[in-house]
Amino acid sequence: MGKQEDFVLRALEEREVRFVRLWFTDVLGYLKSVAVAPAELEGAFSEGIGFDGSAIEGLARVTESDMLLQPDPGTFQILPWRGEAPATARMFCDVAMPDGSASYADPRFVLKRTLSKAAERGFTFYTHPEIEFYLFQGKPAAGDEPVPVDRSGFFDHTAQSAGSDFRREAITMLENMGISVEFSHHEGGPGQQEIDLRYADALSTADNVMTFRTVVREVALNQGIWASFMPKPFTTHPGSGMHTHVSLFEGENNAFFEAGAEYQLSQTARHFIAGILVHAAEISAVTNQWVNSYKRLIGGDEAPSYVCWGHNNRSAMVRVPMYKPTKDQSARIEIRTLDAACNPYLAFAAILAAGMKGLEEEYPLPRETEDNVWSLTPAERRALGLTMLPKNLNDAISVAEDSELLAETLGEHVYEFFLRNKRAEWEEYRGQVSAFERDRMLPVI
Amino acid sequence: MPRHGSVITPANLVRAGFQDGDRAAAQLDRLGECAPGVAEPLGPLLARTADPDQALDQLVGLGDALGEECAAMLRAVADDEGTAMRLLSVLGLSQALGAHLRRHPEHWHELTDPTLGTTRPAAYAVRAGLLAAVAERPYAEAVDALRVEYNRVLLRLAARDLAHDVGVDDVAAELSDLAAGTLEAALAVARTETGAEARLAVVAMGKCGAHELNYVSDVDVIFAAEPADSGATRLASTLMGVCSAHTGEGTIWPVDANLRPEGRQGPLVRTLESHTGYYERWAHTWEFQALLKARPVAGDAELGRLYAERIQPFVWSASQREGFVEEVQAMRRRVVDHIPAADADRQLKLGVGGLRDVEFAVQLLQLVHGRTDESLRVPTTLSALARLIDGGYVGRDDGQQMHDGYAFLRRLEHRIQLQQLRRTQVVPDDPASLRRLGRSLGYLKDSGEELEKEWRHHRLNVRRLHEKLFYRPLLAAVARLPEDGARLTPEAARDRLAALGYADPTAALRHLEALTTGVSRKAAIQRTLLPAMLEWFADAPDPDAGLFGFRRISEALGRTPWYLGLLRDEGKVAQRMAQVLATSRYATDLLQREPQGVRILGAVLTPLTVEAIRTEMEAAASRRDDPQEAVLAVRAIRRRELLRISTADLCEPFGVAEVGYALTDLTDATLEVALGEAIRAVEADRKAPLPTTMAVVAMGRYGGGELGYGSDADVMFVHDPLPDADAHQASSMANAVANELRRLLSLPSTDPPLDVDANLRPEGKGGPLTRTLAAYAAYYAKWSHVWESQALLRADAVVGDRDLCRRFTEMIDPLRYPASGLSSDDIVEIRRIKARVDGERLPRGVDPATHFKLGRGGIADVEWTVQLLQLRHAHEVDGLRTPKTLPALDAAVAAGLLATGDAEALRAAWLMSSRARNATVQVRGRASDQLPRDARERAAVAQLLRYPAGETDAMVNDYQRVCRRAAAVVDRVFWR
Repeated sequence: MGKQEDFVLRALEEREVRFVRLWFTDVLGYLKSVAVAPAELEGAFSEGIGFDGSAIEGLARVTESDMLLQPDPGTFQILPWRGEAPATARMFCDVAMPDGSASYADPRFVLKRTLSKAAERGFTFYTHPEIEFYLFQGKPAAGDEPVPVDRSGFFDHTAQSAGSDFRREAITMLENMGISVEFSHHEGGPGQQEIDLRYADALSTADNVMTFRTVVREVALNQGIWASFMPKPFTTHPGSGMHTHVSLFEGENNAFFEAGAEYQLSQTARHFIAGILVHAAEISAVTNQWVNSYKRLIGGDEAPSYVCWGHNNRSAMVRVPMYKPTKDQSARIEIRTLDAACNPYLAFAAILAAGMKGLEEEYPLPRETEDNVWSLTPAERRALGLTMLPKNLNDAISVAEDSELLAETLGEHVYEFFLRNKRAEWEEYRGQVSAFERDRMLPVI
Repeated sequence: MPRHGSVITPANLVRAGFQDGDRAAAQLDRLGECAPGVAEPLGPLLARTADPDQALDQLVGLGDALGEECAAMLRAVADDEGTAMRLLSVLGLSQALGAHLRRHPEHWHELTDPTLGTTRPAAYAVRAGLLAAVAERPYAEAVDALRVEYNRVLLRLAARDLAHDVGVDDVAAELSDLAAGTLEAALAVARTETGAEARLAVVAMGKCGAHELNYVSDVDVIFAAEPADSGATRLASTLMGVCSAHTGEGTIWPVDANLRPEGRQGPLVRTLESHTGYYERWAHTWEFQALLKARPVAGDAELGRLYAERIQPFVWSASQREGFVEEVQAMRRRVVDHIPAADADRQLKLGVGGLRDVEFAVQLLQLVHGRTDESLRVPTTLSALARLIDGGYVGRDDGQQMHDGYAFLRRLEHRIQLQQLRRTQVVPDDPASLRRLGRSLGYLKDSGEELEKEWRHHRLNVRRLHEKLFYRPLLAAVARLPEDGARLTPEAARDRLAALGYADPTAALRHLEALTTGVSRKAAIQRTLLPAMLEWFADAPDPDAGLFGFRRISEALGRTPWYLGLLRDEGKVAQRMAQVLATSRYATDLLQREPQGVRILGAVLTPLTVEAIRTEMEAAASRRDDPQEAVLAVRAIRRRELLRISTADLCEPFGVAEVGYALTDLTDATLEVALGEAIRAVEADRKAPLPTTMAVVAMGRYGGGELGYGSDADVMFVHDPLPDADAHQASSMANAVANELRRLLSLPSTDPPLDVDANLRPEGKGGPLTRTLAAYAAYYAKWSHVWESQALLRADAVVGDRDLCRRFTEMIDPLRYPASGLSSDDIVEIRRIKARVDGERLPRGVDPATHFKLGRGGIADVEWTVQLLQLRHAHEVDGLRTPKTLPALDAAVAAGLLATGDAEALRAAWLMSSRARNATVQVRGRASDQLPRDARERAAVAQLLRYPAGETDAMVNDYQRVCRRAAAVVDRVFWR
């Protein structure tokens, strides 16, 4: 038994932990949890905890339901909202097959595999997500328009607002769980908040995003309000994205940085961006996985709809932020497509794989887009060679179905299940009659 | 010419051991001129060295360098035999140290020290000397001074080694002390140079850490620093430069820091915290193995001590980590799978039976047993081996042999390296070098050959070390034989069996006990066989089944005279048997039905030709009057051949297409002879000769020559009444023959049945079992459906009446290769049938992703695609007229009907599905159409498909990938 396992077992004693929640994530990005008593944990470390994988969407092929959870002791945390002694703790788990080999159905393993491929080339992948979400007054009933907690706008400082109380408590709780918060503010929409997580290696950030979504919803519930990461809850207000800053490190050095190059962007960074642009449409089904995601993308505002990059251009899909002198290590690029309802493991894996592909194949970086893409005419966009991201989930699935890159990255099992599931979601959506149609037609025809 | 009378003549010198007598005499003359009277005593002294000519040349060189002092040196050598031995043996074996002496001639005084033979230099004194040498000097000067002092100490050490027979382990330990002192001095130089203030501990790893360094090798280190800032990094990298730089005084050795966490990619220095963090989370088992040898040797002592204290627990907890057994297995294989190196057969370290073998094996045993037995926790290979022997983990004699072998190899390595002080582990093959090495190790006669002989002997011993170190002690644990020394306890034996991959070590021990206990000849032979067999079992997917199977077969055959002899004398047989038993339930079943089949494992595994099998079957059948008995004899031959094919498939590189062809040939022969017997039976029953000729047409996979282990034989029966025969009687008897054939081949017996399936005939199960040729022609003329043409693509009439076969083929050719290809209606019809089959095809509860035949991109998808191309184009492309899938694919590419990439995708999926299907039958022992669900079975299939352990799901992933790609091609080619 390693030191970390020992530490966990000791902490269980000292903190009077009554339950340990073993967390893992299904293919669609929903957090799953199995609670075990501390006494079972020692066995869990050495042999894993058996569970019926077929009960979890997309996890097991129907025929092989016996799977194992192997807790990662490095992720042990007391859950602050469950109160002190007796406390509840959580650990993230890897999913394994009964013979102990890693399961290709586990999104965490998808990311780990992609990370280790990059590691073979000497790279570590860091991400820094900026997560947006809405706060509503209570849980919206089915069919009702949700009511935001306030009417403020971007960066407004509102006295005594539910939102700022909320952010304070949420941040405290996140920090209690060892998740550093960089930045937080009120976003553009009424009741919309943004909290930025500190940059860390992609596996930790993906774990953190999972934790974050849970913490935010727990805190909201405690305050009698409702939080949602739905990409586009209002037709008229901005959607909630998860702009993600990414960078590659080679050992201690930021591989995206090159002193003296244009925007201090190294050749590595240029190929990486090119890879993301070339494969943007293919990975779209993963970075923006819901029917609703595409309503954010075509809505304008801070969300991109065209495949392009620009230096500090907030209408571009990939933005190269202003370089701050003396901060070599913070050279990075921002990918603005993602939304917070994605499966962060799969999304980070897809982005890394696309970027690495650009690096391997030495894709040339297309010319930079300096204008606000929204203000260009269609003819101008055509002249500039700007292609559009998939317009809806259906288009995204069609492109993804031909994507060797996506299949390689997700692994055959996840790839197949994911696309099948998304196809079904689209089919179900296609048949829905919406309020829009009724409002238009019932009165007049 | 000689002035010294008769003693120093070229001839005498040659007799004494010089190679070039004239030159030696002249050189000795020169020495005599310098110091009169020394030549006579020097001659014999020089002649005793490893290379007298070289020693003399270098002595002359040293004399020249000394100038005035030459005479004094020569006198000292001539007068004091101790000094002579020390100086001359160094000069005779090491050109590099000779060169050092010429550069620093005053160092010859070092070798006059008589205490050299008895006193090991204290590590602290060596360190102090090295530190003093570099103290208060500017950088470049200090770097040179360090080299001079290093070589001075090395010179003394080499003299001790060569002249005073210091044990090889002591030499290695002294070299490690010297290296530690050198690192300390280099650190002092680096600190002055960089001015960095961080605390830095240098932890030696590898050979230096284990106190068993050789003369020249990389010195492996890890750096721990507080704080691990840029200063500390500079300090460490400067230290490395001080040691490895080449200056006028040469170089010392490269310092290698790649064993550090994250290897080359990781930061050069880390804090203690960062080190422990890494080992807690990220490290692999081999990294813990490397930590076995970690030892702080220089720099901040307190920091070094803390490092050792924090790191130690990790090493011994390694065996509780998940995946430990798999990693141990991988490491064990790494010992066997030698890196193909240049000069592999002259390599001391990496070659077969090399140093690394012993080192790995000892470390592995330490990791397995060191967790519970603290006495094993020593870093040095030879000490660890001694502890393993004391603890009974390794047998006394085997351990002693391993010790001798290792010590010999290390000594040889040292002697090779001394000559040029180069990092080499290759034994030279020129006679002069071999002679020098042989003489330095004490073989004064036939030095080169003796050396080679001794080396070969040790290499052979080491090569069998797995057997000796890993497996034989397991027998000692159960065999209850009188044996000196400790023996493995049952607990330790179970630990070891578990680490070797046995899932149920307790049962395994029981089987071992049953197999080896007793004084019978059988038990004695099995005791000698088992160590090797245990290893072969451990290499296969199911070691437990292997051992258990061996026990059962041995119990069945133990008294059979040839059985044990065969296993003992034919190494191949035992190995194949181990492989079969621990891998394939299918082949094991065949073996156990009739243990006599073991004999086949000693035979050539190339499948027999169809003629050879038929001839043998016919002969066996003809010896029996009763057709039933005759067919049973035929089936016994078939069983034997099935065993041969499946064993070849397991033990030799053997393609899936070859398995298909071999099984098809075997089925052809079986049906041919059985058909004759069936006719005989019916004729006897009806008391009338058969009034018709008969043939059997192979269909489906059988027709395509693509049978798998579990496949039925799909056939159609055709007959053609003789000109004057009664049509009704002919049909009735032909039907009876077909029924009798099927009955005979499926009668209960110890041999597996051959199921003959005639459901592909016209009208399927509803139609008559046999038809006349004319009836077939009439049927096809009237009812010809396109799907029947498709089925006929795979028809191959090969069994029965030759002429009838030919005429049947002529009759169906226009049907299956339609003259104008397919009409668009026909194409639509085929696609419609396929769509319907696709809709209904999978039984409930079956995973479509892993179904060999009916899964997306599986065998059926590929075959339908190929068959559609055949129906459409076979009339214009001759190559497409084949019942076989892969040749048809080739022909389609050649004719431009299919893109090369598309064909490759289809071929890959077909091959992968077929291989996986065969592997599944081998593993499970019965026919199956999808990848096993059971984890262990699935892992075994992965191993049969040559995937490394622990990569089962990677195999599944690959399987799904090739099928997905094929499905995309099918979509394009079949559907559009």
